[in-house]
Amino acid sequence: MKFLSRRTMLRGTVAGSAIALALPQLDAMLRPSGALAGGETPRPFFGVFYWANGVPWHARHGGEQAAAGVPDVWTPPTLGAGATMSEMLEPLARHQATIFTGLEPKTAVPPSPPGQEDGHMRGFMVALTGDRIRPEGFDHPSHTLAPLRQTIDQFVARDPSFYGSNAPRFRSVHCGVSDARFHDYGHWNAISYNGPSSQNLPLMRPDQLYNLLFAVPPDADELRTRASLLDAVREDAQGLRTRLGAGDRARLDEHLDHVREIERRMTAATGAACVAPPPPSDGDLMGRANEMAELLAVALKCELTGVFTFMLTAPASTHVFSNVGVPDGLHKVCHDGLWENVRRVTRHQMECFATVLDRLAETTDATGASLMDRGLVLGVTEYGEGWKHSTNELPAILAGGANGRIARGHHVREEGGNFARVHLTALQALGIQAGGAPIANWGWNGGETDRPFTELLT
Amino acid sequence: MSSSHRSRLLFGSTIAAIACLGAVSTACTGEVDAPRLGRIERVYEPGPVVLPRLTEVQYRASVEQALGGQDVDPSLGPLPQLPLEPDTNPYLFYNVGAASTTLSEVGTQRYEESAHAIANAVVLDPARRAAVIGCEPASPDDPCVSGAISRLGRRLYRRPLTADESVRWVRISSELAGGDASRGLALALAGMLQSASFLYRVELGEDDTERAGWRRFSDLEVASRMSFLLWNTAPDDELLDAAMAGDLEDADGVHGQALRLMEDPRARRAVRAFFAQYFDLSRLANVRERDATLHPQFTPSLMVAMRTEIELVVDDVVFTRDADVRELLRTRRTFVNQELADLYELDVEGVSPITFVPVELPDDGPRAGILTLGAFLTANAHPTETSPTLRGKYIRERLLCDLVPPPPPGVSTDIPPVMGTPRTLRERLEAHRVRPDCAACHANIDPPGYLFEGFDSIGHTRETDHGFPVDTSGGLDGVPLSNGRELGELLADDPRVSLCITRQLFRHVNGRLERDGEEAAIRELSRDFLAGGSRFLDLLLAFVTSDAFRYAAPSDDAPMSDDGGEP
Repeated sequence: MKFLSRRTMLRGTVAGSAIALALPQLDAMLRPSGALAGGETPRPFFGVFYWANGVPWHARHGGEQAAAGVPDVWTPPTLGAGATMSEMLEPLARHQATIFTGLEPKTAVPPSPPGQEDGHMRGFMVALTGDRIRPEGFDHPSHTLAPLRQTIDQFVARDPSFYGSNAPRFRSVHCGVSDARFHDYGHWNAISYNGPSSQNLPLMRPDQLYNLLFAVPPDADELRTRASLLDAVREDAQGLRTRLGAGDRARLDEHLDHVREIERRMTAATGAACVAPPPPSDGDLMGRANEMAELLAVALKCELTGVFTFMLTAPASTHVFSNVGVPDGLHKVCHDGLWENVRRVTRHQMECFATVLDRLAETTDATGASLMDRGLVLGVTEYGEGWKHSTNELPAILAGGANGRIARGHHVREEGGNFARVHLTALQALGIQAGGAPIANWGWNGGETDRPFTELLT
Repeated sequence: MSSSHRSRLLFGSTIAAIACLGAVSTACTGEVDAPRLGRIERVYEPGPVVLPRLTEVQYRASVEQALGGQDVDPSLGPLPQLPLEPDTNPYLFYNVGAASTTLSEVGTQRYEESAHAIANAVVLDPARRAAVIGCEPASPDDPCVSGAISRLGRRLYRRPLTADESVRWVRISSELAGGDASRGLALALAGMLQSASFLYRVELGEDDTERAGWRRFSDLEVASRMSFLLWNTAPDDELLDAAMAGDLEDADGVHGQALRLMEDPRARRAVRAFFAQYFDLSRLANVRERDATLHPQFTPSLMVAMRTEIELVVDDVVFTRDADVRELLRTRRTFVNQELADLYELDVEGVSPITFVPVELPDDGPRAGILTLGAFLTANAHPTETSPTLRGKYIRERLLCDLVPPPPPGVSTDIPPVMGTPRTLRERLEAHRVRPDCAACHANIDPPGYLFEGFDSIGHTRETDHGFPVDTSGGLDGVPLSNGRELGELLADDPRVSLCITRQLFRHVNGRLERDGEEAAIRELSRDFLAGGSRFLDLLLAFVTSDAFRYAAPSDDAPMSDDGGEP
């Protein structure tokens, strides 16, 4: 590998604006052998992949389906290492994904306000935060809800043991593909939260992600001036800040933290060592997923970020998968239990997941390792049994090796097991620390666990 | 619009108001949502202040009004519109999302980029500079710069800048100018466009001298509240001048300015925007596909036309006819373009894909009122079939403000598929009627929905469903009805509809759900609204001149203090 000077700048004109890419710290710190200067392994990255409306059906659906001759096409037929993938999960076989089945949310459901057991909301929250819905302000009829805490991607992105003092240009990046949604608000179009009312809305078009990552204003003087202006913007808000109640002050403070973060980004050193991909076009679901994944792969390779979320379809999505011959919205298709349609859509969503992983797997970092060896991607959805709004058998998928810290290609089954165990396993594989030791607990309000799947952790 | 007949509910003595409200408590019954909404009416107590961020529409309109210069030079085009963080609408309203959500990092970055694009456009275009700034700064310390900061700052902050603020932005314009005064001014403008005082509606009130725990909005804050309600944008110079001159201290002054605002075209846009949110018309934009064999008339542009149609009907009923707002539910007057005329099978002269023509729907036809028009029928249906449940739920929740509880846990919501014995959707939904766990709720939801079974998933009339004759019989609250038009007639005389609109307006205005203590104000506004013939403009005027518009309580979590200290 050739050493690159920190001063090397890649300049080009893309979509009318010049680009300058951040210097990947990894490259600069690596020896030609691929080992880090200090002998450490490079930091893993963490991704969350989300697909909507759960899975078609499986064993615990019981007699109704069995009597109708409907087989379980989700649950892998064998257990443990080297498990055979099921028909639905076969596209993930090439990534040696580990499949968790039988798990469910263990969070308590308060009786009031009513409706908190609805899986679109409860299953979603447990799959992404490890906690239940925030009861205050929850309203089932209008589907208005908020989480009690940040989602797992933000837990990682903000945990001091993950980035340390060396945060990349973006602490996290959020993208999505299908904007067909059940409602226009709240968690119906976002899967990442910083806290109860604070979402990281996904960028829904590849060109938006491209512009965020690569279309940086070129002039360093101009950037410095704009950064100075942000000092004044923060100063200007101080008088207002003191007049606010605690909740609104927290909202404003978070806004001002973002201002500071953008200021940091503007004054951070720019350089270049990797080449921006060509600007994306806009395609269908699979096409856009592929484009987004290509951009993410470059962002991860170049250390522009270490955390991402990828919302293929939004919770309770109404996406119409006419490309696989399903003429109705996904939410309705699941409700109607039209098996062949659900089967086709689920398979297609898994193929999209595998395509995203393909782009990461074929990208190598400076050590020559595949990004999928370095990173860990958690695949989740809001339902096990979407057709009857049940969170039993809430599925989870872990792909990637996390620098060899987690075994791959397993099928782990625990009927009635606590879903939070998957999160704890992923966090330990990522090396997240709490109090100087590997994080030992996860889950809240009935969902607590201190038991990772130790058989996977190496 | 005539002003003489507008009823008024003055900012009055609270003692009198309490007596009045107390006298009529428990007068209304019937809402299914009563437990949630604080059924027991009690003495009015204001609800807490909130801190809404400008919605995208409010941001763009405020920027155009403050910095666009079209009032001086109508030939100027719009200012740059860079993408902003999308709004969200919990409880239907963008104002509620704006008051409860936190801006994301990407959203913050977008404000930054937008601010510079706008500020540069103002300063670099000579025509715009002449219209908006009105002088040519010779040097960074030219009074032209400080004058522009002070004048434009008042528009953006919706109040005069404080001395500290003026000093800050003048200093910035000088320090960062690099010797170029215009660039310095552009940077000061870009700073103010990112200021929390611009991006958030700061309407926090002052401690009321007479009532402990009440906050009284200042005259400038009242101006802002009026303007965002009646125009969906910031106050103009005249309204700010009126506030600073003390003209908004009493209800008469507010009344006079409100009438002026309501006669401006911006009021028509704001009312359309309210009803578009209340009726959830944005969902039409998510209708991307319909089965091409079943619905050959479906196009994305038809979805836009359906939305436009409802907006035009709202405008006609509220402004042109100044009629009972419930006329929306039975009016035969609507507005169609070519696609809608084809969908409704009307022969209308003068229509084109972009020309909407007023029409009277035939008296003997199936359509009258917005529930029989494309928007409602399409947004509450599936790509391949209708949904009496969704349609009935909409009527319950949106028009009557009823609470429809979720399906109980563990119930299969699986509707029997079409395959096997051919039958209509209505027959497949039979379980909703016969299974006790379903019937408890669906007996309220489905019957009004069945009335619209004569309209398919894009609102086209039909006589068969899956090859069998459709049955449009249904009803509301046990009153049997035979089709959707009859339901419209019934609802157009239903006082619950007027109360529900009042409640929704209250949420839109305040950016949050009502509190129990505010129920009295909603009921009183609604009673006057109904008594005066449910004319929506009356409701707006009554609202802006009421105590509920002028007073609030401190925010919930930590009572604020005017001197900035902790309580």
